[in-house]
Amino acid sequence: MNNASFVSHAELADLLRRLSEQAEVWVPTRQAMTPHRPMFRPFQAGMDLDFQPMPVTSAKGVLFPQGEELLKFRKEKSLSEATVTTLLWEDPAVFRPTIVFGCRPCDARGFLVFDRAFLQGSFVDPFYKARRDKNLVVSMVCPEPDAACFCGAVGSHPADTEGSDVQMIPVKEGYVLHGLTEKGQEFLKNVENTPSQAQQEEARQVWTSAQGSVDSGASLTDDAQHFFKRFADTAFWRFHTERCLSCGVCTYLCPTCYCFTLTDETNGVHGERLRSWDACMFHHFTQEASGHNPRPTKAERFRNRVGHKFSYFPEKHGRFACCGCGRCLRHCPVGMDIRAIVRALGESEEVHD
Amino acid sequence: MNTLQSIVESIWDQVDVVLGWRVGYDPLHPVPTFVRDRKDIASLIWNPLCAPNLSVFLAKFFRTASQRDKKIGILAKGCDSRSLTALIQEGLVDRDRLLIVGLTCPGTVDPDALAAARTQSGPITAVAFANGMVEITSADGVECVPLDRVIERRCQRCRHAHPVLYDVVLHDFEPRPVPKDPFAHVEALENQSLEARKAFWLKELERCLRCYACRNACPLCVCQDHCLAESRTPKWVTQKDTVADKFLFHMIHTLHLAGRCTECGECERACPMKIPVGLLKEKTAQIAMDLWHYESGTDPGARPPLLSYDASVTGI
Ligand code: SF4
Ligand code: SF4
Ligand code: SF4
Ligand code: SF4
Ligand code: SF4
Repeated sequence: MNNASFVSHAELADLLRRLSEQAEVWVPTRQAMTPHRPMFRPFQAGMDLDFQPMPVTSAKGVLFPQGEELLKFRKEKSLSEATVTTLLWEDPAVFRPTIVFGCRPCDARGFLVFDRAFLQGSFVDPFYKARRDKNLVVSMVCPEPDAACFCGAVGSHPADTEGSDVQMIPVKEGYVLHGLTEKGQEFLKNVENTPSQAQQEEARQVWTSAQGSVDSGASLTDDAQHFFKRFADTAFWRFHTERCLSCGVCTYLCPTCYCFTLTDETNGVHGERLRSWDACMFHHFTQEASGHNPRPTKAERFRNRVGHKFSYFPEKHGRFACCGCGRCLRHCPVGMDIRAIVRALGESEEVHD
Repeated sequence: MNTLQSIVESIWDQVDVVLGWRVGYDPLHPVPTFVRDRKDIASLIWNPLCAPNLSVFLAKFFRTASQRDKKIGILAKGCDSRSLTALIQEGLVDRDRLLIVGLTCPGTVDPDALAAARTQSGPITAVAFANGMVEITSADGVECVPLDRVIERRCQRCRHAHPVLYDVVLHDFEPRPVPKDPFAHVEALENQSLEARKAFWLKELERCLRCYACRNACPLCVCQDHCLAESRTPKWVTQKDTVADKFLFHMIHTLHLAGRCTECGECERACPMKIPVGLLKEKTAQIAMDLWHYESGTDPGARPPLLSYDASVTGI
């Protein structure tokens, strides 16, 4: 490939420091308390970077923060008139450019799901758009897929470039970087060195062996077709979701889950309208004001999660709302496996309640 | 000799369902399973990877399945049996409808500690336990790690590795001996200055996602669908992603478990961010012992201190 750049292990921190002057650079870092669970954090000098294990959190908060102020308001009471006026004004949010540096290919593809949800159709989410326009994604060829990874089953692979502006390939002495988009080419001007022949060759090998390192034979596409046939099979959903605890681990760690709630958080006469992460696994997710809940149990809630990711979203947008990163099963306290449930959709075997 | 399978076979006619564990998506992650078909007894497993506390399912089970007349069979490690006992104490489950298979427990494996102890890195294809060792098989070969080195924090401080309540007991593993100071972790933190402790919790809780896995995995957190962490009227905690709100939620969780927490450590195990939230509850357990000589979940007949009122008690 042409236009390759090279950054050695020793130069990496300096590169990130220089980039941090232009943008907020999110990197996977290891914290002292959780050495085996790197998380994405804005780069700071002296940070302990760790690109090896899959970060516990995805990078989704960069474009879709867990809690985001949409506007501020203030109430005014007049003593003479018996009225309460609510004054609104937009939050003059400043959106800094961001770089996601060293995420997995699956995380990069996760953003493409967000793009469909937030940027397509008649309503464009201005907050997401402002962030996305100033964002650049540098993904890394996946060094060690584990038993929970299933990008291969959702039409991808550990060396996929889709959704990335730059791809970095780990080699012994550092990283070989390839610009994939115009933005990515521009970005590589920050990196002076070019890889040697040998490093280029090593990178090619790493890429090729990574590409085949997750089983791509067992695609979920056919199994997902059976979703509607199973929709009303309550016994099926009860059986498969009985052990779920209805927590938010799977959806909060998921790079493709984008559901949010809006709340007005007031403090005296001041307040802000907040958008924060929600999760369809929570009991009150579809609870109506009357108290009625059309998804009264975890069986209906889990069915929604499967349906949204593997049926409704693909029908509308032509891709699964799942990038196969495996976080939802890797960190589920009871090891729920969404792959297995999608696979079971087409099985004819009777389930008992 | 009894095996897990022979015990479950022997109680099968008395029960509707057996709550146990089976193999999950890889050898490291056994998952809870509900056995309703005799042929599935064969799929049940018990080993130090069977971490989830199955009593978390019981309160809901009793609310929704109370019309059935048969018993519920449940596998219970030492700490799980304390949770069961506490649920019985609070009238949330009915002792007469339980058939408890107690398991003497050598401690459960902390997956992060196991990852740290390994010298090989290939994906694990099999795990076996013998003579206090964990034997891990991967493409790189077989390696052995002492179980003691990789058990969870809850197990390092466990005082009831032999179940406290059961109908039949399976003695597959030597129960862990009672540690000298089960509150050493709490005390080490408490001996620090107020500033240091504040800094500790700010740093830990800063990464809390408010996913509420700690709450939902807790067998004693029984009002989770109506938790005040999410109640809108009245509103106690905002949705803001700030450490103050996270701290408030954890304080509420802790206080609701005061004198009730059975130190099963599920809150901490369930946390994807590895926040040591168990420490908060251990402190309340220690206070309950100091104040009332009360140890939750060890006596099905005892009345939990905060479910009673005694005007003569001082020091609160
Ligand atoms: S599938 Fe797992 S992570 Fe998701 S809600 Fe259920 S218990 Fe929690
Ligand atoms: S559903 Fe699971 S595997 Fe798919 S993107 Fe979300 S966390 Fe990853
Ligand atoms: S509906 Fe559920 S699965 Fe879909 S994005 Fe929302 S939280 Fe995720
Ligand atoms: S499980 Fe961990 S991250 Fe989730 S709410 Fe509890 S402490 Fe926070
Ligand atoms: S608070 Fe934690 S340790 Fe205590 S009973 Fe609940 S899950 Fe177990």
